[in-house]
Amino acid sequence: MKILVCVKQVPDMESRFQVQAGGTAIEEADLAFRVNEYDEFAIEEAVRLKEKLGEGSELTVLSLGPQRVAEAIKKALAMGCDQGIHILDTASRDPYQVASLIYQAVKDQDFEVIFTGMQSQDLGYAQTGLLLAELLGIEAVTTVVSFCQEGDGFLVQRELEGGQRMNLKLQAPALFTCQLGLNQPRYPTLPNIMKAKKKKITQLEAASLAPPAARSQTTSLRPPAKKGQAKFLEGDLGAMADQLVAELKAKSLI
Amino acid sequence: MKALVIAESREGQPLENYLEGLSYAKALGAEAALFLVGAAEALPAFAGTLFLAEVAKHLEYNPKGHKALILSAVEQFGADLVIFAHSSYGWDLAPRVAQGLEAAQLSEVVELAEGKPFLPAYNAKLRRQVETSGKLVVTLQGGAFAPLKAGGSPQVTALDTDRQSQVEFLGFEAAAAKELDLTKSEIIVSAGRGVGKAERVQLVRDLAAAIHGDLGASRPVVDAGWVEHSHQVGTTGQSVTPKLYIACGISGAIQHLAGMKGSDFIVAINKDKEAPIGEVADLFCVADLTQFLPILTDKLQG
Amino acid sequence: MEATREIYWNIGTEALTTLYLLTALAIAVFIWGMAAQVKTLKLGRPLKRDDQFWKRLAYALSQSLAQSRVRSKRTVGGLHSLFLWGFVVLFIGTTLIFIQADILAPLFGITFLKGSFYLFYSIALDLSGFIALIMILGLAARRYIATSLNLPKNPGDFWSLFLLFVILVTGFLIEGLRIAVTEVNQNPELARFSPLGLLVAKSFAGVDARALRGLHAQVWWVHMVLVMSWIASVPFTRLRHLVLIPLNAFCADLGPKGKLITLDLEDESQETFGAAEIQDLTWKDMLDAEACVQCKRCEDACPAWNTEKPLSPMKVIRQIKELAQEGPTAKLVAKIGAEALWACTTCRACQSGCPAEVEHVPKIIEMRRNLVLMEGQFSGDEVAQAMDQMEVNGNPLGAAPATRADWSEDAEELLVPLNEAEVVYFTGCYASFDARNQKVAKNLIQLAKAAGVKLAILGKGEKCCGEPARKMGNEYLYQALAAENIASLQAEGVKKVVTTCPHCFDTLSKQYPDLGLRIEVEHYASFLDKLVRAGKLKLNPQAESVAYHDSCYLGRYNDQYEAPRQLLAQAGAEVKEMRLRKKESFCCGGGGGRILAEENQGTRINQKRVRMAVETGAKVIASNCPFCLTMFEDGIKGADLEGKIIAQDLSEILVEALASRQPKEKQ
Repeated sequence: MKILVCVKQVPDMESRFQVQAGGTAIEEADLAFRVNEYDEFAIEEAVRLKEKLGEGSELTVLSLGPQRVAEAIKKALAMGCDQGIHILDTASRDPYQVASLIYQAVKDQDFEVIFTGMQSQDLGYAQTGLLLAELLGIEAVTTVVSFCQEGDGFLVQRELEGGQRMNLKLQAPALFTCQLGLNQPRYPTLPNIMKAKKKKITQLEAASLAPPAARSQTTSLRPPAKKGQAKFLEGDLGAMADQLVAELKAKSLI
Repeated sequence: MKALVIAESREGQPLENYLEGLSYAKALGAEAALFLVGAAEALPAFAGTLFLAEVAKHLEYNPKGHKALILSAVEQFGADLVIFAHSSYGWDLAPRVAQGLEAAQLSEVVELAEGKPFLPAYNAKLRRQVETSGKLVVTLQGGAFAPLKAGGSPQVTALDTDRQSQVEFLGFEAAAAKELDLTKSEIIVSAGRGVGKAERVQLVRDLAAAIHGDLGASRPVVDAGWVEHSHQVGTTGQSVTPKLYIACGISGAIQHLAGMKGSDFIVAINKDKEAPIGEVADLFCVADLTQFLPILTDKLQG
Repeated sequence: MEATREIYWNIGTEALTTLYLLTALAIAVFIWGMAAQVKTLKLGRPLKRDDQFWKRLAYALSQSLAQSRVRSKRTVGGLHSLFLWGFVVLFIGTTLIFIQADILAPLFGITFLKGSFYLFYSIALDLSGFIALIMILGLAARRYIATSLNLPKNPGDFWSLFLLFVILVTGFLIEGLRIAVTEVNQNPELARFSPLGLLVAKSFAGVDARALRGLHAQVWWVHMVLVMSWIASVPFTRLRHLVLIPLNAFCADLGPKGKLITLDLEDESQETFGAAEIQDLTWKDMLDAEACVQCKRCEDACPAWNTEKPLSPMKVIRQIKELAQEGPTAKLVAKIGAEALWACTTCRACQSGCPAEVEHVPKIIEMRRNLVLMEGQFSGDEVAQAMDQMEVNGNPLGAAPATRADWSEDAEELLVPLNEAEVVYFTGCYASFDARNQKVAKNLIQLAKAAGVKLAILGKGEKCCGEPARKMGNEYLYQALAAENIASLQAEGVKKVVTTCPHCFDTLSKQYPDLGLRIEVEHYASFLDKLVRAGKLKLNPQAESVAYHDSCYLGRYNDQYEAPRQLLAQAGAEVKEMRLRKKESFCCGGGGGRILAEENQGTRINQKRVRMAVETGAKVIASNCPFCLTMFEDGIKGADLEGKIIAQDLSEILVEALASRQPKEKQ
């Protein structure tokens, strides 16, 4: 079985984000990057599936982005993916473009199972996986919290609000977007980190994959007008409690 | 502008989150219609057109079928905008519909400023404005738009399709009883070392109960054995991002801040005005917990 | 008449053949037995411990004959030493007899056991025998009667002690019988030089000399057979440590103290990292296991054991010995338990107090290395998360690397640009990001400024030194972080570094050289102490009572006990010493990467330590380490000691003393 896992490299969410002069992107210079957390669960599930299927299954990890993205691919390789595809791209893309580029890169490879994270931590589109499935014309299940391969099919659970779940059954080919808690992503062992250094990463230029026009464009990026400026309430406790309750109600938090 | 608001039903009952979608449509001055895969016996309150497909045939989960139904509603209504809740139903369906319409999608819209939608970015540290052209699909962050008060009965336009997913829907499963998962909590009320004594954690529990929130705790409180570890928030506990986080007597050690500062709205209750929790708090009540919490709990219950 | 005695009196030289045969047999059994005991050494990996012969020999003698570590525990150590020295004198005495009677006299006609030397010889042996006898009784009482000490009891050990006792008793009998026949009446002056022997001899007063001679011959043979049996039995009882401990001391790690082996991670022939099985340990680890006498000193000193954690360093060593019997592929963690391994704070109290020269900490780290590098296991999710943060953000706290120098923003006038700096302050993660410890960082730059030192920081170029990751077994992450720090330091041409964290200090000074960094590194205690001595840093004494806590990594790892105390004295503080101090200091609980981990079992180590400080009556517990400070702040709150004592860093006390002298600079 040919398995694909798509991962995104994102800045660590603790980073201090500074908006670039143009006002539509962030300064990357001081950022620390990591594999999107949701995608780590996707990698782990893909590796588990590959290990379960044993001989004859092959797991490819794909990522899109500038040169730094190779680190994310290497991490996935160290976790157990067999080979990598790096779509080299320095442009800012919307989810439709990203999905189209991935589609162009993998459409002839007959992947039977594709895993992605349910969303990215940085921009949180939650679209790329589904758009890729739409382009490939395959079934897709989002927010998977339980995954089980049985015979030629899959039994999966989607997570709904409040911890409720939905049980589904489907056949390959299919795409799954993974929710946190699906599994426990492994910490790569040293021998696997070393082996990963020798695994093949195919580089593709985004331009050569004929990206379509974007459907959306970021026009501004700004901090929400609040954090770091706590409003202080002092004095009479009863009045303070009233004021607090009023504030929370105004924001429909309670 | 015409907006199709997608309503949801769960286990036969319509959910209320469509009211936020109506509110969004109203804020844009759009004419709204509703879409629902549901049952004629349980219709949402709405004085307008409702495109209704039979849930008995189309099930509550059947993305290909629902997508085809929505596309047909968009066409019949002539909608420019399709509004979903950013819910398990919405985020599963919105991109499929967007692709069907060859339209852009904006996920988890959190505010409208001068008619322009803004999206949270980078752990809600930034807000992003996005321009699109043509038709548009949006999903709305839960609670970002105050629900519209709707009444009346809809005029139903029935929809049908033969398309359906190859995914077999086997049914729902109730949330399994497991160790407390604070990462999914919408409201967390946390106890810090400032509560002073094990007995006083009860004051924090009472407040949490009064606003239907979950109890959280900082490391020293857990270490002291006052609260079980499953409640711990911070780098050595759980990292949480609720809508509302109330930190009671938490000074704000970096390990704790790291686990909760992504919360949408943070209230600090602390007698030390200089406590570092102030750096992330939106609202800082300078007060003694022992006196203030009972008053606050009382007001919330009353 | 010159004082002497007839060697082999009443026995005759014809008995010697039998005696020689017996001796040869005993020595053969001894050698065979020892060889069998140490055959497990072959299971271990190679390790170079035979360089610097004379230094090693001197060290082995200091630990064996001079008993320096044994005596560090005064009472019982003293008893043990007297016991040993008693036997050493008896052994030398016996050897002298052998030299004279069996070599010098028959071959060259030379005798030396005569005259005043003989008198000295006689009384020395007599008294040594007596001391040894008393000590045997004392040590036996400690092990077998004082059951509260819970010392291991083993039948073989009991018989070994009993044998020694009988040997001494029969020795005095022989002496007494000989004196009764040859000296009591004939040479009473000489007999006075064998007071114990004389006492025995007098008890035979009036008995017929022939009967005494007969008895003497019989007891002599019993004595000799017992001695030879004892020699033959040594390898099979606790007393094998007579050989193994000096040997282990000879093979000791000559330092630098606590310098870990830097793994070659690029070595492709290496299939496994760290220790999973017996064969992954070194031969020295096997020797350690054989040399351990289970004296419990390590256990008594261990902060984990003393707070009900599942770790006893003694048990780990015993388990390694048991596993070695099972063969090279016996699994370590399955027997020892990961929980025990993760509980170690690497405080080195076990190792620095061990009279058998056992190296506990490196073994635990080797096993942790295997768990992390080969199995991807950690002591808990929180540690895995911290590792992830170190990997991505370069600090375990998950703070944005770009904000590393933010603490210095409002104190920029105290620092100079890197290219003008005499000394670079390697701030460390806690002083960079943790609000409490940021005060320490600010204090240091203030003190350096007051002393006229041009100090700079690396800022964003600095990462975690990697120490907590390394001690938790993650050598890969440690080396990755170290490489980045080394590149930063070298790129800036840094010649000298000062740290406020003893973990950074130990790592940069001792561990980084393996990775190519060789610069001068100092902890701020010694750095400031020198400035005070040179008259550059002037302190105005402020009265305060302080319980000074020796951090493990400044103390036991680097033997710096005096500089911080000097500084406290200069600042006018009255140092109230805790019962466990200096070499015996009790860890705060944050070492060995445990600062990243939950402490879920037993009493909290930090609370125990803080209580010890309160016992001194001091109002402050002061340390020199960000982990200690963090642990004590938590410990004081957790143990409900707020208002009784506060936790401070040494630098805070110094700045207070500084501020009063130069009030203008405070603003």
